[in-house]
Amino acid sequence: MVSELNTSSARRGLTGWLRRNLFSSWWNAAVSLVLLSLLAMLLARLFQWLIIEAQWAGSGPSACADTTSLCWPFVRARWPQFLYGLYPSEEIWRVNLGLAAGALLGAALAVRRMPARRWIAAFLLLAYPPLAWWLFRGGAGGLAPVETSLWGGFFLTLVVTGSVFWVSLLAGVLLALGRQSRLALVSQACTVWIEFWRAVPVLVLLFVVIIMLPLFLPANIEIDKLGRAMIAFAILMSTYLAEAVRGGLQSLSIGQYEAARALGLNWRQSRLHVVLPQALAVALPQITSNFIGLFKETTVLLVIGLFDLLGEVQRAASDPQWLGTGTTAAGYIFVAVFFWAACFCLSRASSRLERRMTRYRAAAN
Amino acid sequence: MRKNSAFWLQCLLALALVTLVFLVFRTTQSNLELLGVQSGFDFLWKKAGFSISQHLIPYTEDSPIWAALAVAILNTLLLAVFCVLLASLLGLLVGIGRLSSNWLVSRLSLAYLELFRNIPVLLQIFFWYYVALRALPSLESSIFITDYLVLNNRGLYFPFIEFANGFSISPPVMGRFAYEGGFYLMPEFLALWIGLSLYNGSYISEIVRSGFQSVARGQWEAGAALGLKPVTVLRRVAFPQALRAILPPLTTVYMNMFKATSLAAAIAYPEIVSVFVGTVNNLAGRPVEVMAVTLAFYAGVSFLVAWLMGRWNKRVTLRGQ
Repeated sequence: MVSELNTSSARRGLTGWLRRNLFSSWWNAAVSLVLLSLLAMLLARLFQWLIIEAQWAGSGPSACADTTSLCWPFVRARWPQFLYGLYPSEEIWRVNLGLAAGALLGAALAVRRMPARRWIAAFLLLAYPPLAWWLFRGGAGGLAPVETSLWGGFFLTLVVTGSVFWVSLLAGVLLALGRQSRLALVSQACTVWIEFWRAVPVLVLLFVVIIMLPLFLPANIEIDKLGRAMIAFAILMSTYLAEAVRGGLQSLSIGQYEAARALGLNWRQSRLHVVLPQALAVALPQITSNFIGLFKETTVLLVIGLFDLLGEVQRAASDPQWLGTGTTAAGYIFVAVFFWAACFCLSRASSRLERRMTRYRAAAN
Repeated sequence: MRKNSAFWLQCLLALALVTLVFLVFRTTQSNLELLGVQSGFDFLWKKAGFSISQHLIPYTEDSPIWAALAVAILNTLLLAVFCVLLASLLGLLVGIGRLSSNWLVSRLSLAYLELFRNIPVLLQIFFWYYVALRALPSLESSIFITDYLVLNNRGLYFPFIEFANGFSISPPVMGRFAYEGGFYLMPEFLALWIGLSLYNGSYISEIVRSGFQSVARGQWEAGAALGLKPVTVLRRVAFPQALRAILPPLTTVYMNMFKATSLAAAIAYPEIVSVFVGTVNNLAGRPVEVMAVTLAFYAGVSFLVAWLMGRWNKRVTLRGQ
């Protein structure tokens, strides 16, 4: 089965290609034919289920008289809920503005020859998150407050992913540096912390933090459910990122540390200007794959009663007016397509970046 | 840094840590007192008072809570073992498929990888549970895969060894309201099993592929030159060498899969999170103890798996490397 060395037929064109790749031997030909027929059957059935048998027309719950075949009007009718949850509709401009600003800044960063790229990065990392939170949450500076219990859908997925990643990256770098520390107490404490939380499932930690944090804190400090959930996510994410960064730190040759010291840089200077830029670059593929993991994992929020994109679909599908496997399935397919496209693009972008960095490093050496 | 200052810095840090732990402990104690919550593990010996739909050991509503915990732990482990087996099989087949010279096989393997890896596993579990398994026929019109393998919307029924009076194999038989005898896997279990295995199988396939690709090309050629069949080269030459690259990342995937069995709480399969963190915590009202037991269970199993896989890894690595 594994790549044969002598591909004897050297014929060009379609028949040559078919011969080489699908019908190179009797065994291969049989496998190809069986798979082709299975694939054709599967695709035909899928096409029928997704398009032909599905219900397309209409807008209200009455559009889907048949509860078992796919109900696309459901997705169309509940579209705003999938995007924003229960966020008050007259305030939705704030969400749009905040997310658009974030997307714009991110896009500007992606352009390689952008002027003042460093300043944009600093703004995105330092000023944008608190500003965006103020815009979404309100309650100060003339904006009406919007409780986080009203947040939901795609918006909540983005807020949780972004905020948790932002906090965790910083905490993860500190944990990784701490684990490398020459102070035995610091390195031991960081190691125990990281190894313990790595063993705990996200759902369990969510329950632990939601139930236990109010017990740990004095009665006058209150953190809402979303805040507690994000703390749980951040604890896990920062340990994962710490391990990724540690891989990067370990890949550096000892000469880099020595050179920094020989230049007379102190601990902070050497980490900031010599060690971390190189370590983070090496760790970048790991960091992005953890980001993608976090993005997918936010769906777990629905178990504790917060409604991310999947949670909103689940909530909308349990509306008695819309009940039926056809509506549920349509909602799931919508969420699946969304997540699939986002994760696929992210992982492709990550591997492109990785290739570019490998070339860059090869040229530098 | 001078030795002296390092020593004092660590003393200061230790002091800060101890103070923090002490403060949290005191606050928790006073908070629990305010709420009127008792503490201690004595609740484990109280009557459970709730039933569990799947139990591998004898269990009734009159059993103590520790028996419910044991049932939940066994259910968790059963699911984890089933998932490890199916995901490994899928990952191995698809990973080798990626390297096939047959274009269709390698492309379909790639399609599997990209499809299942990029969709949240909880969504996949929901799809199997709320959509695919709901479409199964009801009890009256069950699907008979063979005479003894029955599938309907209540689960998958199959014959099982009966220990009651000696050894015997009892097939599922249609009783008054349901199939009796044999063993059955409930729809929740099936959805989790399929969902977790397909998702993690995609990760394993990628590990297997890169593991086989790490085997030097000369090894394949040498095997072929010895006149071995391609399958034999794969099994006896390439696989043992690929295993060295496969095992460390495979451990991570197994661990992730074990942790992901906790998603069962989302569709109420009775494993440790839904039984213990859910039901028992609500009934007994001992949040600190319940959470401590649950965390200890996950940490314990994870360290055990890491230790076992580490030993296996030592056995397959080259000596002197």
